[in-house]
Amino acid sequence: MGRFCRLAARSFGQEKGVTLAADRTADIAGLQGQLEAAGYIAEASLAATLLLTLDLGRPLLVEGDAGVGKTEIAKAFATVRSARLIRLQCYEGLDVHAAMYEWNYQRQLLAIKLLEQDDRPLAAKEKDIFSETYLLKRPLLEAISCDEPPVLLIDEVDRADEAFEAYLLELLSDFQISIPELGTVHAITRPLVIITSNGTRELSDALRRRCLYQFIEYPDFAKELAIVKIKAPQAADQLARQVVAFVQQVRRMELQKKPGIAETLDWTAALLHMGITVINDDGAERIIDTLSALIKTRDDRTGFTPDVVARIAATC
Amino acid sequence: MLTIEAAERSDVGTDLLTRLAGFTAFLHGNGYGVSAADTVDIVDAAAQTGILNQAILRWNLKSLLCKRFEEWQRFDALFDAYFLPPNKCVFVQRDAAPGTEEVTSGGNDDGAHESPATAKHGEADAAAAAGHGASREENLSSTDFSELNQADQARKVEALMRRLARRLKHLVVRREVRSQRGRRLDLQSTIRQSVSTGGTPLRFAWKTRRRVRPRLVLLLDVSRSMNAYSFFYLRLARALCNELKDVHCFIFHTRITSVAEALRDPDPWRAQERLNVLAVGWGGGTRIGECLQEFNRVQGSRLVHSRTGVIIFSDGYDTGDTALLADALGTLRRRARRMIWLNPLLNQPDFTPVARGMRTAMPYLDLLAPGGDLAAIERVLPQLIESLQ
Repeated sequence: MGRFCRLAARSFGQEKGVTLAADRTADIAGLQGQLEAAGYIAEASLAATLLLTLDLGRPLLVEGDAGVGKTEIAKAFATVRSARLIRLQCYEGLDVHAAMYEWNYQRQLLAIKLLEQDDRPLAAKEKDIFSETYLLKRPLLEAISCDEPPVLLIDEVDRADEAFEAYLLELLSDFQISIPELGTVHAITRPLVIITSNGTRELSDALRRRCLYQFIEYPDFAKELAIVKIKAPQAADQLARQVVAFVQQVRRMELQKKPGIAETLDWTAALLHMGITVINDDGAERIIDTLSALIKTRDDRTGFTPDVVARIAATC
Repeated sequence: MLTIEAAERSDVGTDLLTRLAGFTAFLHGNGYGVSAADTVDIVDAAAQTGILNQAILRWNLKSLLCKRFEEWQRFDALFDAYFLPPNKCVFVQRDAAPGTEEVTSGGNDDGAHESPATAKHGEADAAAAAGHGASREENLSSTDFSELNQADQARKVEALMRRLARRLKHLVVRREVRSQRGRRLDLQSTIRQSVSTGGTPLRFAWKTRRRVRPRLVLLLDVSRSMNAYSFFYLRLARALCNELKDVHCFIFHTRITSVAEALRDPDPWRAQERLNVLAVGWGGGTRIGECLQEFNRVQGSRLVHSRTGVIIFSDGYDTGDTALLADALGTLRRRARRMIWLNPLLNQPDFTPVARGMRTAMPYLDLLAPGGDLAAIERVLPQLIESLQ
């Protein structure tokens, strides 16, 4: 009840509410600016969600097609907050020993042999062997034992199996890891958790419930142009515009693999490398030579005949 | 949600709070998986950021209340319906795929008590007639789904699907996991365990192959020619949906619609209502190619992966373009692990795949099997499981 009263007093009081909203708008714009400085163009909605993630201390689940810059969010955000980025790349068969901790058993074996000559009581020896010296910290344990709150990126969580997801949930709710031989390790600081998923497997409702959600679409023309200008400043303004217009057209086609932002940047680099400074229908043949940077499957490639390329190029 | 004390303080704050809390209920009524805990969260978030800026409120609620892509797509429309007066709904972005927007009406009064049962069938009809892909061939009359809830055959179907589900649970993949008894020695684990015995490996650790359940995508043809079988297949699909988690069911005729959510609804009558809304066009013409292409475009990349088995229930009578069908099937085949076609007509002794659609589809299929009734499905079950392996 106290919460609701406080809220009514705080948020719904007119003047206070207006200042809150104004502050927030300023914060969002500020974060957008900082992210841009870190090389990431974020919409206001994404910046607002990131701020909310900080406020509520909840993980953020980011979904979207491959190549829309899900992983980059975490990297840029870590730069903005000048925090450490700890990355856990998930894969099928990922287990506790690769994700949380592992005993350095070679060293332990060595220690056992050395301690044979030692006169100390057995319990003391054992305690010595199972001390933090022999503990290898994997990303998740690392993330909760940092002095400064790091950004923890759990990449492509859908590739790990359901069992790991359940384990992850436990970590994300309590921020503690129990190691049987050592005891429970509590988080010194709470990491900021960003989870990405490509949708190769449906995630559990429990995990989704715990997270804030953000779906990232392919960028529109203006956003992609801004990205190209930041990431490939050597491309002239006209070329950048044409490249982006071309890629946007290509994305509208029926393709098996739609080009992501990384492909756009690769292709820009390829064009520059080939000395192409303008895209027009005359240069279709030369453009086709560079398309391997943009189109990644054979079936898609067969659709790009000189005619098609010339037609797209003419509209750019 | 609110205590009596709060209700007594009937000031502006409480009204706003009720309205905000009502939004969660409104979303719940529209099939979102939101709970009371989410209400507390949005109130918390509102306390942090205020509620007077519409954009910020929208973004906050969106990230807090949406849990998956379908919900994300529909959110803006629902937000506008609930919070904006009707004449301001203009900037709703309706780029969502047709058929995904079944917004329950009446968000502008206190929408907290809306339930999906109030979604008006007539409205859905009108919407379909007004646009998104409706055609002259489409059947706009309503379909009686009460047959779905009759118990006579239901139990047998459920038993059969439970058997299929149990068999599917035993499929294995190459990836290995540690286990008590296994086929191969897990050297890493063995050495790790030997630490406790002073470096002498007294106990061995083993690896075994991991079990995994394939994802199933069911595509049910509910066009006129399939009338005799549609309900049977829908019942089959529902039984399977309730047995296994990773089953996704779609019905198609001249358009394709997801019915998995509706089939999973634990309340049979509400499921019936939801199906009523979804099944506009049931028993109409068939355009398999277009439907599959639509499926590839909207759902394909998300839903179909290398562990997915796609099962199509259709007689293959197609009025659409066969080139389109071949193209769509080819795309789907490349994405999926297995493609299986159950054809109810295959039971007949003099059957030859003369239907245009069927002839086109043959090269893309891993298995073409009869499936007109329960006995036929039962016979084909071992083949089905083998081909999903």
